[in-house]
Amino acid sequence: MIKVSETEPENDRAGRSVSCPSPPATGTPMTDRKGVMLIESTAPTKVAILGAGRGGTALLDLLHQIRTIEVVGIADRDPRAPGLQRARELHIPVLPHTADVIAHQGVQLIMDVTGDPGMEQILRDRVNPNVEVLSGPASRILWELVQHEARLQAELLHAEKLAGIGSFAAGIAHDINNPLQLILGLAENLTDERNLDTVHEQAREIVEAVKRTTTICRDLTSYSRRAAPYHDSPVDVNAKLDDALKIARYAVAFHDVTVKKVYAPGVHVTGNPDELLHVFVNLITNAVQAMERGGTLTVSSAMTPDGAQIRVSDTGSGIPPELLEQIFEPFFTTKPPGKGTGLGLYNIKHVVHQMHGAIGVQSQPGTGSTFTLTFPPVLPD
Amino acid sequence: MSEFKSGFFVGGENCNGRVLIVDDEPDIRKVVRMTLQKAGYEVLEAENGEKAIETINSGENRLLLDIIICDIRMPKVNGIEAIAYFRQNYPRVPLIVLTGFPDTDMATSLLRQGVVDYLVKPVEGEKLRAAVGRAMEQRELAPL
Repeated sequence: MIKVSETEPENDRAGRSVSCPSPPATGTPMTDRKGVMLIESTAPTKVAILGAGRGGTALLDLLHQIRTIEVVGIADRDPRAPGLQRARELHIPVLPHTADVIAHQGVQLIMDVTGDPGMEQILRDRVNPNVEVLSGPASRILWELVQHEARLQAELLHAEKLAGIGSFAAGIAHDINNPLQLILGLAENLTDERNLDTVHEQAREIVEAVKRTTTICRDLTSYSRRAAPYHDSPVDVNAKLDDALKIARYAVAFHDVTVKKVYAPGVHVTGNPDELLHVFVNLITNAVQAMERGGTLTVSSAMTPDGAQIRVSDTGSGIPPELLEQIFEPFFTTKPPGKGTGLGLYNIKHVVHQMHGAIGVQSQPGTGSTFTLTFPPVLPD
Repeated sequence: MSEFKSGFFVGGENCNGRVLIVDDEPDIRKVVRMTLQKAGYEVLEAENGEKAIETINSGENRLLLDIIICDIRMPKVNGIEAIAYFRQNYPRVPLIVLTGFPDTDMATSLLRQGVVDYLVKPVEGEKLRAAVGRAMEQRELAPL
């Protein structure tokens, strides 16, 4: 499994400003150019969130992904608030009361997204002066920024998807022009064909060929549409994997690639169906591209006690260990200029995290790679 | 493997020439065969570059084949590799590319390698026959 190295902090940074939570924070070294992962020398900032409605949930999702931040707890008056459920999935402590947040030992920053106008004063009066409080207008601005970030991520995902469709041109041309050649050839023949049985047979062949070309447009329209925001629903994983296998054929020729499907029945996850399709198409395309001289693509789904597990394996070139840590980083690509955006795996990671899942990769140069996605079980309503 | 059986290798009685069509789509091979047979050509088929190389190397084919029509995007040995092989080993046989995906750079490079025509699907029967006719004029007979 890939592990991005993060060492535990050795120095305490009491009083350090936390106004800039995203890396690079104070004293954070960068990755050096050879790709050797350097270590963050600062400890994560311990943050607690008050309010687990839409704002709290979005904030939790965002902060959870930032390595320099540790969410130590979240609280809401309403025990059914969506953010509390999300926190349990992410193994983040759910604190029963506001008082538990205020009294929390070790918290450095309390973010109030309750929307309660009286909360700011309560916090200012009762919170330990060493603990910073983000409340009132400041937290409203933060909420707006969080929403803005979510929109940008959606735009980025869509842009990357559209960029990818450019590489479908060869596949689409192949799938449209071959049937067109058949149709043209048969139609030309029909202009002077005298045998009525042959006429009927060839007319039927033309109808079938036309039908084949119409599926191309159907597949691609469903793929290229903008994923609807906040559109989480149960997704049939096996059906989505089948769709992705169809669409990936436009992006890359499956010549000499044997496709093995190992599906457990009834595997479902909760998420955005369009985004999940995009994730699968990307992983399958990468896998086939890694097998230039052919091989076996294995696509599998399974239910485990931890939830749904989806694997995409190839028997291709594999990923050198020194690159393994970078593959999920934005703009990282091994493809020649103009051939890859370097955003594929970065976006995949983002979508998977949004769905509260995890992604890992095992790879051996010369043997192949396996990407594993795990998603929490679908909860009954 | 298909092979022409002919005792006379400059051409049979009603045969204008012998053409090998290399394409992974059976539909394409079928319409090309139909189109060319009408014009009096005999047509051989291969489903990829590997099969095409096997075919041209078998029996009398190495002597009797007049023209190869070749797709680009195919499994096993693809069109580019197959064309390189034919140019190397059978330079006397004119090559026509018939592809579903027009690519100017590739067309230029292939024409430089000696491909006589670059056709994009769907191609009308008339044009295909004209291209084959032109290629027939450029072919050289196999050395005896």
